[in-house]
Amino acid sequence: MSDTFTTTSRTTRFRFRIRNWELSLGVAMLGIIVIAGLFAPLLAPYPPNQIDILHSLQAPSFSHLMGTDFVGRDVFSRVLYGVRIDVFVVALITYAGLVIGVIIGTVAGYFGGWLDAIIGRVTDTVVSFPFIVLVLAVVAIVGPGLKGVAIGIVLVGWALYSRLARSEMLAMREQPFMLATRALGYSTPRAIFRHALPNLVRSSLVYSTVDVVVNMLVLAGMSYLGLGQQAPGADLGSIIASGQGYLLTAWWITTIPGTVLVLFGIGVSMIGDGLTRGELSMATV
Amino acid sequence: MNASPDTLPLLRVTQAVKQFVLRRTLGDRVARRPGVLHTAVDHVSFELGSGEVLGLAGGSGSGKTTLARMLIRLVEPDDGQIMFGDSDVRAASGHALREIRRQMQMVFQDPYSSLNPRMRIGAAIFEAGKVHHQPGVDDEAAFVARVLDLVRLPASAARRFPQELSGGQRQRVAIARALAVGPKVLIADEAVSALDVSIQTQLLNLFLDLRDELGLSIIFVAHQLSVIAEVADRVAIMHEGKIVEIGPTAEVFHRPQHDYTRSLLAAHPSHTAPTPRGGSV
Repeated sequence: MSDTFTTTSRTTRFRFRIRNWELSLGVAMLGIIVIAGLFAPLLAPYPPNQIDILHSLQAPSFSHLMGTDFVGRDVFSRVLYGVRIDVFVVALITYAGLVIGVIIGTVAGYFGGWLDAIIGRVTDTVVSFPFIVLVLAVVAIVGPGLKGVAIGIVLVGWALYSRLARSEMLAMREQPFMLATRALGYSTPRAIFRHALPNLVRSSLVYSTVDVVVNMLVLAGMSYLGLGQQAPGADLGSIIASGQGYLLTAWWITTIPGTVLVLFGIGVSMIGDGLTRGELSMATV
Repeated sequence: MNASPDTLPLLRVTQAVKQFVLRRTLGDRVARRPGVLHTAVDHVSFELGSGEVLGLAGGSGSGKTTLARMLIRLVEPDDGQIMFGDSDVRAASGHALREIRRQMQMVFQDPYSSLNPRMRIGAAIFEAGKVHHQPGVDDEAAFVARVLDLVRLPASAARRFPQELSGGQRQRVAIARALAVGPKVLIADEAVSALDVSIQTQLLNLFLDLRDELGLSIIFVAHQLSVIAEVADRVAIMHEGKIVEIGPTAEVFHRPQHDYTRSLLAAHPSHTAPTPRGGSV
């Protein structure tokens, strides 16, 4: 009576893991950076703000792995604490934007009509607004510091996720399994959050890997300009700024945190590529 | 009424109309004209008896699917009356509409997109039963196994994802999910059209078994007359939004009254010529 019962999933998932070296390498790079930040209080050989004028501007050595800055603070310790605060803030603001944007976009796409029109115009406005200018405006209102920068980035960041989720929802709305949720008499929240959302969140997650890098650079940039992390607090942008005057004599103060920033960006991008590729191979294998 | 035995109409559709707006210019809006309309379903009337299998046949674009979707208001009717038992489908809303939809379940054409790809089979079936507080939902595993058994799938299928199953198996799951809410009517919208012929036959037999075991009424939408011939007690032929002919399957196929029915029958390749099973049961 019943046609033969087979399964193919195990092999599919196995291949997905093994073949995806980009994903693995990206996860490894990001993992090291995140763990270093997470355990900064245990790993840092010196307190990040401890001044030691006698040993200022020392080149990297065994006692100061990344050298010291112009007041003798240990750059390695400061980078660890800087990574700690930056990674935390970037993850928070990026995924706050993602959650807000995906929910708004999904709801707009599901209901359509005037609600969609209003949300659509608001997203257009936000997206067309110069990003940095808006962040600067929020900083001007809230005052310099990571809080102002974070609020500014979230205020803009949700809009692209909203667009992405909306367009996916528009296509998904006509899918038979979404029609089925109505035919089965499911409530609208159940249809949206249990059936539509899990199926459209993937593209937003992939996009968030680009967004994380952009936000990291904006955050570091704002701190570099003195609008983000305030002295003496350590953050990658402020450490780079503090070493700018000594670039020719003490290259390590700017170069090392800059390299960490680059490695962070590459690691996250590789995860993004790996996820996209994984999606393709999942679909074709 | 020339339907199956002991019938009192379960579903009565009277003069149902659905029009779609093809084009509406700014001028139309200003003048409050409806614009250019296409009448997908044009004053259609029919009845469905309890335990009856009604075939709905017709070419592409004849309005079969629109009519089927109107019955549970997935498409809003523009005019006419749809009575399910003694409740008015068009007037229903909220809880009453959900109850009507519970009792009239739909199986869609494409078994590859009618199931949520991120939900295991068991979860999808259980969710349907739980939402409508069906008896036996206290024990998830037993409930799912019982429903899967109705469509002749092993209980182990509950742990699978849809993409791990074949088209025929998925369509069984879609039927199982519909059955999980305890319907009286099953609307099969081209439910076997996407499947190959041997699997079609198995599923057609399944539909007939379900009719006998659960006393279901079935509205069977299909463009293949051979499929209708195998399952339907009565058949309605649709053409350009109208039912041009309706009657017992054998009668319609052997003595077609309408030109369109004749051309449909003539267009069928002879080796798959519709051979209705013994009259109207």
